[in-house]
Amino acid sequence: MNTNSNTYTVIYTALVVVVVAALLAFVSQSLKANQAANEKAETIGQILNAAQFNLSEVNGNAATIQFFKENISEIQLVNTNGEVCGALSTENAEVLSTSDLKKQNYAIAGKGGEVALPVYNFSNGVSVLAVYGQGLWGPVWGYIAFKQGTTDIVGAYFDHASETPGLGGKIKDDPSFRAQFVGKAVDYSAEKPFDIVKGGAKGEANAIDAITGATMTSKYLNISINNWLEAYKAFLSSEKSCCQHECCGDCCTECTECTEGCCENKTEEE
Amino acid sequence: MANLKETFLSPILKGNPITVLVLGICSSLAVTVELKGALVMALSVTAVTALSSLVCSLLRNTIPSRVRIIVQLVVVAMMVILVDQLLKAFEATYAIDKSLSVYIGLIITNCIVMGRIEAYALGNKPLPSLVDGFANGLGYGLILVIVAFVRELLGSGTLFGFQVIPQFCYDLGYVNNGLVILPPFALIFIGCIIWIHRSFDKDLQEK
Repeated sequence: MNTNSNTYTVIYTALVVVVVAALLAFVSQSLKANQAANEKAETIGQILNAAQFNLSEVNGNAATIQFFKENISEIQLVNTNGEVCGALSTENAEVLSTSDLKKQNYAIAGKGGEVALPVYNFSNGVSVLAVYGQGLWGPVWGYIAFKQGTTDIVGAYFDHASETPGLGGKIKDDPSFRAQFVGKAVDYSAEKPFDIVKGGAKGEANAIDAITGATMTSKYLNISINNWLEAYKAFLSSEKSCCQHECCGDCCTECTECTEGCCENKTEEE
Repeated sequence: MANLKETFLSPILKGNPITVLVLGICSSLAVTVELKGALVMALSVTAVTALSSLVCSLLRNTIPSRVRIIVQLVVVAMMVILVDQLLKAFEATYAIDKSLSVYIGLIITNCIVMGRIEAYALGNKPLPSLVDGFANGLGYGLILVIVAFVRELLGSGTLFGFQVIPQFCYDLGYVNNGLVILPPFALIFIGCIIWIHRSFDKDLQEK
């Protein structure tokens, strides 16, 4: 047979491509469940990381999910008015996957869909909020942990699909980048609630340094964070009224005076 | 049989893809910070070179010569996606797949894979082609593991993530070498391996 004729070449390549495509589709379908389980455990691990839990003793998917179930107290979904519009099951350790966050990102931008942003409340008094957006090469997302009822940040964790390893990839790989978030606070009276500053922050309470060599990733992450913080604005600022005083510690009840056991001393806020 | 043995041993020692052919340098600089990642990368590349050499060798008499590169590319791409999907599906390898990020996908651009298919598999029977692909993968992996061993030991004081340099050394003032973590050191170190390899093997020395 003449393997160099045009007809043969066309039919041969078409056949090869169809066979390969069918095989890959089959493999992808059959491995989907396993991959989804791994992704879910990874997402939960990232949320726990943001909430500053020590995961060094927690190994494996099952252990991570178990740890999450033990420490989570409530998972709320809130809309842009700050109202709770739903909840996820803590028993089944339900979380919003990155593709769910992508849909929410569309909803925030007003491109369709209901806004229902996740708030993971942990029993150690930390609330973890999600952020998602466009990075340089692909999506970037992350979790920012707040002291419950305040705009004080206690931790953060970011991930990305395809930022440049060693440069933009540092938003995930460099612990010192996310460590900068600890102790900062979101300030809704400022032009930007939070800022990642190229050239270095000047000690502002709501700004951190951008990553050297990753100007675009830093810029896009900044935009993503601010988009989502804007959507969370009503929720975060309404909750802020309930715990203004340092003496209240991790509790979240209304109080205006710092007395011993102040959390029992509930009065109208300011 | 003697021929098969020769086919198997040559890529590991005398014709090593990294130190002699100088192929696959890019990924060997990038993924050798940790032993675990290097080992997974080595096994992935070995699986891809072996299987795609086998498949291309089985198809060698049917492939139209004008589109042979495209057909090879399709076969290699399929193998790489299969490896990536499998790594993502297992709990133990999921995190490693994430940390290797783009480099698993970039196996397709590793010159060793296409190079062996073009140079060997298309002109030889399936069994020798399989052995050749496998051995080239191992030769690549061998250098990867050697480099990763040194880099993880000197750069992080660990092997496979376990601390091997005892704490009292740090207390006495020993510090991990930051340069070793960076790609330039990998290049320097691979250069040293090539140097040592050549000084022992007279056939490799140019007159």
